[in-house]
Order: sequence, then structure tokens, then C-alpha cells
Amino acid sequence: MELGLIAIAAAIAALTGIGAALGMGFATGKAVESVARQPEASGKISSSLMLGLIMMETTAIYGLFVAILLIFVVAA
Amino acid sequence: MTSSLMLSSGMDLGESIYPEMLELGGVTLPLSGIIGTALVLILLLAAYFIRRSMKNWQDTPRGLQNVIELIVDTVHNFANDKVSPYADTLAPFTLTFMVYILFGTCIELFGIPPITKDVNCALALGLTSFVIVNVMALRALGLRGRIKHLATPSAVVLPIKVLTDCIAPLSMTLRLFANILVGYLIMHLIYLFCPVILPGALSVYFTLLHAAIQCYVFGTLNLNYVQEALE
Repeated sequence: MELGLIAIAAAIAALTGIGAALGMGFATGKAVESVARQPEASGKISSSLMLGLIMMETTAIYGLFVAILLIFVVAA
Repeated sequence: MTSSLMLSSGMDLGESIYPEMLELGGVTLPLSGIIGTALVLILLLAAYFIRRSMKNWQDTPRGLQNVIELIVDTVHNFANDKVSPYADTLAPFTLTFMVYILFGTCIELFGIPPITKDVNCALALGLTSFVIVNVMALRALGLRGRIKHLATPSAVVLPIKVLTDCIAPLSMTLRLFANILVGYLIMHLIYLFCPVILPGALSVYFTLLHAAIQCYVFGTLNLNYVQEALE
């Protein structure tokens, strides 16, 4: 019973990847669109895109880290 | 709460999330500290030998001098784009961080545990970045200017900005630590289940890409925080 609850908790924690992937997809789409509209600003657009992607990836990694902690440390 | 990871079927992974310590003749030393120090000594020796083999500076560089100039110029232009007046101070810091983190996490390919698998190493790097940001801001603006810069639209945002500045090194720490630890654990599981060809193919993604992305991310974020504090 307890092992089952821990498994469900780890699965819910790993769902943060959905939000991160959606956000990254939107951001990359808008960035590609604006580079197509004005190609000489592509350096600035690219560095702003990298900054946004870093922040979004961090929250996904936090969720994965919590899931790993639950599976390996709590379920022992 | 044991200090080594176990799969739920009771099989012991032999790895641990907590920092590993070595006992050498009565003194307890952290394993990642020893590996990090050895890595720094090897890098310093390599730098000395590279410098000695480039005795004649040529105006149009060829060979090894070309590669070194390419790397240093790229990082210097990168720092110049963001923090123009202080690029001479910050570009060496950025390149040092990136080289240390890149080599420290790519040694995982040789079977040595990467240095940021230990949360103390990641915390030290995060706190160093915090100190760099605050010292550069205090030198440029002074204490009064810094407080006024933190309370810019109105005095209500001062606690929020102070909290954001204090959480920034913590998030850098956790980002570095969690990325490297997760990659290491997944590679370890793959080694246990299929030790033949699959680890070599997948370690290009899980090890090399994570290490390269995290090293670039750390350098970029450091420069961004300095730029934000100095504008």
C-alpha cells in the first residue's frame, strides 16, 4: 500500500515536464517567427531565447529530482 | 534512512545521494574535493605546458595558438556583449567556471564520479557566483547606490528583490546538482541492465550533453546576474 502511494506520488512529481515542454515549444516558435521577420536581430533573439529556456528547464529538473528522491530514498 | 540507494526490490545500487567521504589515516576528506583539487592541478600543468610550447607569438596565428585565441576571443566577446565596462574582469571568471565545470563533469566518461554529484561542490560554485555579483555591484554603485537600485520602482519591491537575489545562488546550485545526479543515476541503471553497447550510445546524450549544457548555462547566468545588478 505504501509502495503504491509512493509510486503514484513519483508519477505526479514527474508531470512537471508537461508544462516545461509546452512553454519551451511556444517560446521557440515565437523566436523562430521573429527571426524570420527580422533576420538581423537574430543574435539578441537567440540569447533571450536561451535565457528563457534555461529557466523553464530548471522547473522540469526540480520535478524529476523529487521523483528520484521518492523512488530511491523514501521507498527503502 | 540508509545512505545508499536501493531499488524497491531490495537490490543495492551501490551509489548514494549524500556526499561520499574518504578516510585517510584518521582524517575524513570529501571525495569530490580530492577529485576537484587533482583536476585543478592537472589543468594548471596543462596550461603551463601549452604556454611553454607557444614561445613565439606570431601575428597571424597558426595551430595551437589559433585554437587558444579562438576560445579566449569567443568568451571575451560574449562577456563584452553583456557587461561592457567590466569585461576585462569578468571574462576570466566566466572561462574559469566553464572549464572547471566542463572538465569536472566530463570525467564521468572515465568512471570517476563527477564533482558536482556532491551537493557541497555545487553549493560552493553557487556561493562563489553570489559573491562575484555582489562585489561587482558594490564596487560599481556603492552601498547606497545598490540599495537604491534594489528599491527602484518603489520601496515596496525591496524585500522581493532581496529575496530573489538570495534565492538565485540556491537555484544555480540545485540546477547543477540535480542535472548531473539524474544523468549519473540513469547511466548507472543502464549499465546494470545492458552493459554492452547501449551505454556508449546513450551516454552521448545523458553525460556529454548534460555536462556541456550545464557549463554553458552556469556561465551565461552568472553574466546575466551581473548585468542585472549593474544596469
